[in-house]
Amino acid sequence: MSALDNKKCSYVKKNKKIAFTFDGKKYYGYKGDTIASALLRNNVRLVARSFKYHRPRGIYTCGIEEPNAIVQILNEHNEPNTRATVKQIYDGMKVDSQNRWPSLNLDIGSINNLLSPMFSAGFYYKTFMGPKGFWKRIYEPIIRRTAGLGKPPKEFRSKSIHQNHNVDIVIVGAGLSGLIAARKLIDTEYDVLILEQDSFIGGVLKNSNKVEKINNQEVNKWIKETERLIKTSTNIKILKNSLVTSYNFTNHLIALEDKFAGKAIDTSKSELTLHKIRTTHTILANGHIERFISFRNNDLPGVMLASSFEKYIHRYGVIPETNPVIFTNNSSTVTLLKSLVDLDHKPAAYVDARDKNKIGKKLLTYLKKNNIPFYTNAEIEGCDGNKKVETISIRKNKNKIIKVKSEMLCVSGGINPDIHLFTQSKGLVKWDDKLITFKPDVPFQNTITLGSVSGNYNYEKTNDEINNKLSFLKAKNIEFKIEINDTNNFNIKELWETQHEKKSNWSKSFIDLHNDVTTKDLKQAVVEGFDRIEHLKRFTTNSMGTDQGKISSINSLGIVSKILKKQISEVGTTTYRPPYAPLSFSAIAGRSTYEFYDPQRKTPIHNWHVDNKAVFEDVGQWKRPWYFKEHDAETMHQALQRESKQTRQTAGILDGSTLGKIEIKGKDALEFMNLMYTNPFTKMKPMTSRYALMLGEDGMIKDDGIVCKFNDKHFIATTTSGGAPKVLADMEEYLQTEWPHLQVYVNSITEQFTTFNISGPKSRDIMSKVFTEVDFSNENFPFMTFKVFNYMDTEVRIMRASFTGELGYEIYITPNHGLALWKRIFHHGNVFDLVPYGTETMHLLRAEKGYVVIGQETDGTVTPIDLNFNWMIGKKKKDFIGKRSLTRSDTAREDRKQLVGIIPLDKSEFIEEGQHVVERERIPDPIKTPVEYLGHVSSSYHSPNLNHCIAMAMIKGGNKLMGSKLFVSSSYGTKNIPVEVVSPVFIDPENKRLIS
Amino acid sequence: MILINCPYCGERDQSEFSNGGEAHVARPENSENLNDKDWGQYVFYRDNPKGIFYERWVHSHGCRKWFNAVRNTSTDEILKIYKLDEKQPKLDRFTNTLKTPSGEPKVGSGNFTVKK
Repeated sequence: MSALDNKKCSYVKKNKKIAFTFDGKKYYGYKGDTIASALLRNNVRLVARSFKYHRPRGIYTCGIEEPNAIVQILNEHNEPNTRATVKQIYDGMKVDSQNRWPSLNLDIGSINNLLSPMFSAGFYYKTFMGPKGFWKRIYEPIIRRTAGLGKPPKEFRSKSIHQNHNVDIVIVGAGLSGLIAARKLIDTEYDVLILEQDSFIGGVLKNSNKVEKINNQEVNKWIKETERLIKTSTNIKILKNSLVTSYNFTNHLIALEDKFAGKAIDTSKSELTLHKIRTTHTILANGHIERFISFRNNDLPGVMLASSFEKYIHRYGVIPETNPVIFTNNSSTVTLLKSLVDLDHKPAAYVDARDKNKIGKKLLTYLKKNNIPFYTNAEIEGCDGNKKVETISIRKNKNKIIKVKSEMLCVSGGINPDIHLFTQSKGLVKWDDKLITFKPDVPFQNTITLGSVSGNYNYEKTNDEINNKLSFLKAKNIEFKIEINDTNNFNIKELWETQHEKKSNWSKSFIDLHNDVTTKDLKQAVVEGFDRIEHLKRFTTNSMGTDQGKISSINSLGIVSKILKKQISEVGTTTYRPPYAPLSFSAIAGRSTYEFYDPQRKTPIHNWHVDNKAVFEDVGQWKRPWYFKEHDAETMHQALQRESKQTRQTAGILDGSTLGKIEIKGKDALEFMNLMYTNPFTKMKPMTSRYALMLGEDGMIKDDGIVCKFNDKHFIATTTSGGAPKVLADMEEYLQTEWPHLQVYVNSITEQFTTFNISGPKSRDIMSKVFTEVDFSNENFPFMTFKVFNYMDTEVRIMRASFTGELGYEIYITPNHGLALWKRIFHHGNVFDLVPYGTETMHLLRAEKGYVVIGQETDGTVTPIDLNFNWMIGKKKKDFIGKRSLTRSDTAREDRKQLVGIIPLDKSEFIEEGQHVVERERIPDPIKTPVEYLGHVSSSYHSPNLNHCIAMAMIKGGNKLMGSKLFVSSSYGTKNIPVEVVSPVFIDPENKRLIS
Repeated sequence: MILINCPYCGERDQSEFSNGGEAHVARPENSENLNDKDWGQYVFYRDNPKGIFYERWVHSHGCRKWFNAVRNTSTDEILKIYKLDEKQPKLDRFTNTLKTPSGEPKVGSGNFTVKK
């Protein structure tokens, strides 16, 4: 038979027809339909292929718990793994099924089902062990193609936003309990936020006709009245289409709102809003989830959870099948039975696993009166059919099997309170023997559970329960009398799996439909020793799919506890972790994507660099010129050689604005600087500067820079470009925590000054032309001194310092004047062939001079002694950070890695950065025993001024190896490059250029 | 994400703060008199208990002030927050149950979400 319209009751708008496609074929549905309800309306039962065996699958549920019907939305940037039971249709929507080839109906991958003895529990771990190399070349590509879910999204650009809320009470779920709680809180002193995952409120009231009347009012009218009262209230807000995905510490909840539920996505707007909610009290009224029962072929299209079938009838107004078979072990299916009878579609059979006593006289009389074939103490043995349910086998008494023809089977294995959020909040759950499920016990946070999530399945008692649990709040004194259409007796009988026969390889009884785990896999895993539930889950992949086993995880506990002969409470549950349901990464990322992912910092000269063909590199968040192209065809190597040569011949200029700058002021600034840095500052003259080192307490170099001393109460220190925030934070930390008695203020002034480094033999001439009022002669402006004066109506500071080994100056000026000054320098500098250079030339030039770069020569394991920086250590100082560590037995070792220079013996060869320095001429192939290595190459460049490769290396006992011959490995082969160990200062070792 | 009550700014999200490890570890004066072992103890060793812990926090994306806190590391419950110049509160002021709400044992973790 086929699907029919329920004309009596529906929440979809049947006057609004909507066209969409599924696997290329056009179908019609109504406004408000989900993909699933629309497909059922069109009698489409086969909607997916399963994860591992590629078995045909149908729609199993009517909500977030769906394990089968997950689809790809082609017109929403190819969004994969969407639940067809949640996603609403709209005009022009294009939907595809997943994990099938060439088509859903004829799927080649279903051969896996016949090979299934291979794919038992843990098959990945057992099967693909060898031969060597097969995994990478053969197994993995094949598995990746055939296993799994949808295809990745295309041309996706996230525009989701984050929104923060701070409220007194959050109500999760606008069902019966949630709405009654809300009504009692209308116009009270509390700020209340209601979160509802559906696009309408009402929950169970709309999903079924279990509740008849509230305060003598029709349920629908009551919902409408409630919605109106909430809307007009001053203190309650409802967010619909908002799914709470996590419940974190300190009553912090995350909810995901789908802003385009039931609408075509507008790519210029944000699709999702991530709500971050901080609340004082959390009311969980998020209901329950029905579970299934395992029997033979319990995955055939046509098998559906009973309450889901009921939801399709009442919520979507579609009766998926006119005469289904109902199989249950509890009384929650009574309303489904009655609904079908009322609609004049009697079920083909009613199969109840319970005895007559538990079923109750009332229901038995009803069944008899309506002439419905019913079987008590009976089970479904299994079902058969070609890609759909055709015949259903009912086991009556022990051995008698009756076959019934029907295309759908509604199963109810009981109800689980949806404790996911409760356990995420670290609440304790306990096993209830009567309800045969876990229910919340002791909350950890300010959490209240109401309704079925708390284990209260009796709707008549809802009002009393809420009064009781909310009595500590100043809630309104309004009572709600609830009339039900149903028995309030749940009367469940424990049943996890029915007795069934294996008829072929096709016969399978599933425990996890999403990941294709069978009950046999569970049993086998226990036999193999995985008897702890957490191990078992990972070995079998049970409940590890995107549905997280919402309809089956308790069932697996039931089955395992039977095998282990333990109580379920002893077996325990696996850990419930956020998120409750899959949420898109784009929602988490929010606006922090693409150009907003990480802010870019640009210097005031940036546009000039762009105009002059700079190639940029990222230094922290800074964009720094790496090198400048003289013409488009110039390679990086050519640019470097040109820039470095020119700088040493005439002059070069570097935009050093990114350099970290920290101002240190206060009565005790001198004492503080003496403690922070290795250098002694006491005898240093005012208006001079010094290269300074900062260590960690472990004695390792942390940062370096130049410290300018104005006087004993005022210093300015520069830091490395990337290290500035850390240095400032460290200074603050020591000031606050270790030396609070020191009166010192530290402040970042990195962006208050633009910095240029000009160097080269002609730099003095250029500076004299730009700053005509300053005397740049060596006597008046010696090395490592600085001057402050007025220029261009602002203050400028010029320091004589150099990172190239040439005569050099550093200019500091306010950023507003930066570009003008830069241009003025070029105006005067062009006569002297002034060249702009980038960070790579800076590195090359400093390497020629043997200057180190923190983070390149050092890596957090290098002391100043290792770099031969003994002269920088204020040995007479009583204390500074890291001082004691420099005499630790380990730091004082003589065979530590020390800084040396190396040059290839054959000057035409090039040494690569990062290569090992070894004593052997050749690396053995294959390597049988570890090759002892002495150290590594930290920097290497082709020096245009010496015309061969120069390199720096950190090697064991390097100071004693001067002049010896060693080898450096290469990426080209096993033959090593012979090198000579030399001093790391390759140019001007007497500092003649620097100080004259 | 837990809430931290900065003694200077008030209650803020954890993301505004950085943790500074164990509190009340004073930097030794006259370190030259310490042997390698004792100095190494100060530099490299910090406690990391399961249960009540005195630790340092800094409101790094706020007022940048350091302060101390007493936190139960197994429940993330912050029992006390106090300024650096305030006295260290005594341990017996706090009931150290050493038990998460899910009833984990003292050492190790496992599946203990179910009440026995």
